[in-house]
Amino acid sequence: MSTVRPDAPAEPDVDNERRRHVSDYFRLERWELPSDDAGQPAGVRGRAPVDDHTRGPGGGLRTGGLLTNLDSLGGFTSGLAVLPQWIVTTSLLATVSELRHVGPLGFRVDVVRRGRSSVVTAIDVVDEGAGARHVAAATLTCAVLDPGSMALAFERPVVVPMPPPQSDPVGPEAFFSIEPGAGPVTRLLLDDRLRNPWGILHGGAVAMLADEAACRAACAVPGTTGPNGVAAADAVLHYLRPVKVGPVEARCTVLGTAAGRTVVRVAIHDVGSDDRMTNLGTMTVLAV
Amino acid sequence: MAFGGYPPPEHLLGDLGMEAELTTAETAWVRTRATPFVAAADGAVRAGVLATLVDIVGGAIAARVLHPDWMATADLTVQRVGPVLGPFVEARGSVLRRGRTTLVIEALVVAVHEDGRTVEVDGRPADPVAWASMTFAVLPARDPAPKVTMPAGLPSRWAFSGGGLQVPIHDTVGIEVVDGAAGHVSVPVRPYLHNSFGAVQGGVIGMLVEAAGAEALGAAYGGVGSDVVVTDLQIAYLALGRIGPVVSSARVLEPGADGRGSAVVELRDAGADDRLMTVANVVAVPAATLVGTTA
Repeated sequence: MSTVRPDAPAEPDVDNERRRHVSDYFRLERWELPSDDAGQPAGVRGRAPVDDHTRGPGGGLRTGGLLTNLDSLGGFTSGLAVLPQWIVTTSLLATVSELRHVGPLGFRVDVVRRGRSSVVTAIDVVDEGAGARHVAAATLTCAVLDPGSMALAFERPVVVPMPPPQSDPVGPEAFFSIEPGAGPVTRLLLDDRLRNPWGILHGGAVAMLADEAACRAACAVPGTTGPNGVAAADAVLHYLRPVKVGPVEARCTVLGTAAGRTVVRVAIHDVGSDDRMTNLGTMTVLAV
Repeated sequence: MAFGGYPPPEHLLGDLGMEAELTTAETAWVRTRATPFVAAADGAVRAGVLATLVDIVGGAIAARVLHPDWMATADLTVQRVGPVLGPFVEARGSVLRRGRTTLVIEALVVAVHEDGRTVEVDGRPADPVAWASMTFAVLPARDPAPKVTMPAGLPSRWAFSGGGLQVPIHDTVGIEVVDGAAGHVSVPVRPYLHNSFGAVQGGVIGMLVEAAGAEALGAAYGGVGSDVVVTDLQIAYLALGRIGPVVSSARVLEPGADGRGSAVVELRDAGADDRLMTVANVVAVPAATLVGTTA
């Protein structure tokens, strides 16, 4: 049986490690638990190291990276639950209580609702290097799609090993082609390696852009930064429409600041696609 | 807008005294008075009450946009972002995306006067009270006689009238704290709390999630639920709660260095084989860090 990873790049581009695909960048390994229920996953588990170049000002894995892993794992699990159909993320709701991580991070993913048109997964994240402290939790909702001509066949239970370390790693901003800048608008260039198999911007790239954009917007407000700057924590992201063309702009509005937390509304637009809004949500940015 | 007899005369929405208006085909507002009975420990309106407000504004817009189809709330988020100045809070909702199977709505909650004028501070509109979002699942119409009668023209205004709250909202709802540290609260299902499906209303779910999360996080801080203020609710609605009692459990995450805490709350319908109804993330901060930020 042939195996096509649904999160594999449409055109593999592995000749340059700097150009690894989104799902490999954070070196996420994942494995499906054996199931007695034919076809239905009993659950999926994952693990990802916290490489130095992926750490943020909070000391642990940047929240954009954590959200990328949540999107990859929740989407993967949801997809397995609806085979031979597949899925696309529609909303990601996450709380990150602890920004300092030793690593590796362990992920537990369970399907909590499987409907005809949508699947909901609940995901818990523990810091395995720090006594399995529970550091984050999320729910991911996916819409069920007809995969069309995409071949989706898996050896079950699915096991995807951890990608190797990068010999010459780059930081998330460079990897995700986020332009340098400051203030309320942050731009991402839609490189092909950032696309998922549907040819649209990977949900994790959207999350990383939201993280970076929200932090820049918060930094522009006096009194919101700490000794190490700011770091994103909780996230609400609605995936409204696919990002197809690019460039992609995250336009931020600081909604309020209280008790050391700044809530930033992030509206993401596909500039090359009639500037339509593709994602909307909020990031909670903390002084760290 | 008539909801086919919903809500009934004795209902929480009536006692909250909500007023509402569909302002355009895709926008609406819903308003309620910010009284001490709906206030959290910092004096501001509870996140669960804000969830009720935005659930109603979202539902009103969805009913209009999707007519003659109907809808069920799939997820709802509320983030308190600023102080509540009162005397009223108003959720202003608008459509973000209307798809074949889902409808996504955004709402901003602001402080207003009784006539709807935005409260100003130093000559400028006050900061928002909260930001919210909702996803509704579209339920295709099966009944040839729609249960909702749409107004002929816009704007269209209506009110849920009742006797008003006589005690704090959690007592009104009937939330019993069984084991605070475990986030175990319980509430019977009764028509007073119903939605249009005869199950527990989505905003009430928000109140239960808030109460369970606050109790668990308060205990984790060495106190009780009233020692913390819930700032964020991220709720995924999985199944209706029709029989009851609805019971909760909570798992507290590792507290961050900044004093804020998070918990995962699950709600189950104990009378329906403990069916999982809701999974939610709750974020709270010690009340002492917020007291003084609200008027």
